[in-house]
Amino acid sequence: MVNMSNIEQIEQYLAGTLSKEEADLFETKIKQDPQLAIEVSSHKLLMESFTLYGKRTGLKQKLNQFHEEMETESFANRSRFAKYSIQVFWKKHLPTMVVAASVAVITVMGTLFTVDYLHSLENRQISYYKELKRELNSIKNTQKNIVSATSSNTSDYKPVTYSATGFLISSNGYIVTNRHVIAGADSVYVESKVNELCRYKAKEVYIDKFSDLAVLKITDPDFPISMKIPYGFKTRESDLGEPVYTLAFPREDMVYGDGTISSKTGFEGDTAAYQISIPVNPGNSGAPLLDDRGNLVGIISGKHTDAEGAAFAIKAKYLLEVIDSIPRDSLPEPIILPAKNSIKELKRPEQIKYLQNLVFNVKVYQHK
Amino acid sequence: MNKVLPEFDEELLLALKRGDDKALNLLYRTYFPMVLHFIGNNSGTEQEAKDIYQESIIVLYENLQIPGFELTCKVKTYIYSVSRRLWLKKLAEKSRYVGKIEDFESFIPFVKEDAEIEDKDMQFKVMKQALEKLGEPCRTILEDFFIHNFTMQQIMEKMGYTNTDNAKNQKYKCLMRLKKLFFSSYHSE
Repeated sequence: MVNMSNIEQIEQYLAGTLSKEEADLFETKIKQDPQLAIEVSSHKLLMESFTLYGKRTGLKQKLNQFHEEMETESFANRSRFAKYSIQVFWKKHLPTMVVAASVAVITVMGTLFTVDYLHSLENRQISYYKELKRELNSIKNTQKNIVSATSSNTSDYKPVTYSATGFLISSNGYIVTNRHVIAGADSVYVESKVNELCRYKAKEVYIDKFSDLAVLKITDPDFPISMKIPYGFKTRESDLGEPVYTLAFPREDMVYGDGTISSKTGFEGDTAAYQISIPVNPGNSGAPLLDDRGNLVGIISGKHTDAEGAAFAIKAKYLLEVIDSIPRDSLPEPIILPAKNSIKELKRPEQIKYLQNLVFNVKVYQHK
Repeated sequence: MNKVLPEFDEELLLALKRGDDKALNLLYRTYFPMVLHFIGNNSGTEQEAKDIYQESIIVLYENLQIPGFELTCKVKTYIYSVSRRLWLKKLAEKSRYVGKIEDFESFIPFVKEDAEIEDKDMQFKVMKQALEKLGEPCRTILEDFFIHNFTMQQIMEKMGYTNTDNAKNQKYKCLMRLKKLFFSSYHSE
């Protein structure tokens, strides 16, 4: 068993503070006493561990202190560092960003240019072709004047936007005109101006985008259902030079025009249309084209802006095809096409007397 | 093996061997970001990075105090390698190791020093636990006497004993208790 003085001696021996003789004496003592030897070695291990612990904790304290210093410094520098890091960011990424930005710009411009170019191509094609609906600025102005003179309340005033022509194809009130006439319309009215002014409300029942045809139906209950359709349809292709005439509303009154079939194809070789040599004006759109014998040959739809006296009319054959293609369900009443041409033997002025009742001035109201 | 170390490393190591605190501070600041980056990119936190880094510094520092220790690579590589090894061990303990470590520096594998280092680590751990169990005032007395090299006189004054014999007696008792605590867990380890 070890006591306090023993321990002290061991301590001193291990620390090397014993004198030479004392140390030698102690060593011989260790050799004789195995118990003491174990005691010494275990004490040595304990002391080693203790010093190791002491050194490490001391070192750790120092390191913690360094770390704290470092952190407070970096905290103090943070704002400066942030600024610096932004600079570094720019320096580092500027080339990439420039490249990315230029690619984006080129792509956008390229797309815009291409789209615009294609669009302009389309526009160029159309620009020679003029749709013959008449914009009614003058009427608008006049009406505005009247309205403003008579009443200050103009809130429910809707101006007439377009005027064109349409004609009856079925005694129960179906009217054919051009699709472009009624495109975007809020409401459509048809006016007949033969003896007295008759005005009927109409609604669109079918439009055919490709042939530019539209079918309207008069919805007004005042419309006389028993109106007779005297003309016939000419489904056979007309020959060049065949005389034709038309009735239309390029102004507020009906205007007669005549000419001949000048080509079997329409604008840019369109085989669904004729070229005709009738002087046409805005407002002629949707007007019927008839031959000498009172057969419907076509529907006037547009003219060439760059050529003199070149108007176009959609062939009657295509009108019939369009009417055939209308789904039965979408019609409130079936379209009854005229079965017999009752005016083929009459002279032209007599024919017109019958026909003028069937030609309507289509007025389109569009809220802008 | 005879690779000439960079001048910076050479001077730093000499200063560290002398126990220069400035050099230690410089060393500490120089490589912390590297270890932080490494551990941060291998599913560790900043606190963990700090612990691992400090342990690595301690390993280097203690090794430098051993006479005849020669560093065979750059200080940077050494710190990185030690940190890497310690972190792998930590990850294995936490069973968070996913099998792939993202490396940013070259490193040297450790084999022969492992046992020695682990031995030391164990001594340290056991001593730490023993001291914690020992409690006050024994801990302070022993630390003052053995680590801070206080004389019995100083300890007597600090702890308010009436004479040095009392202090000596107290120290003896404390040492015996520590010894018991230390060896009871040391042998079981």
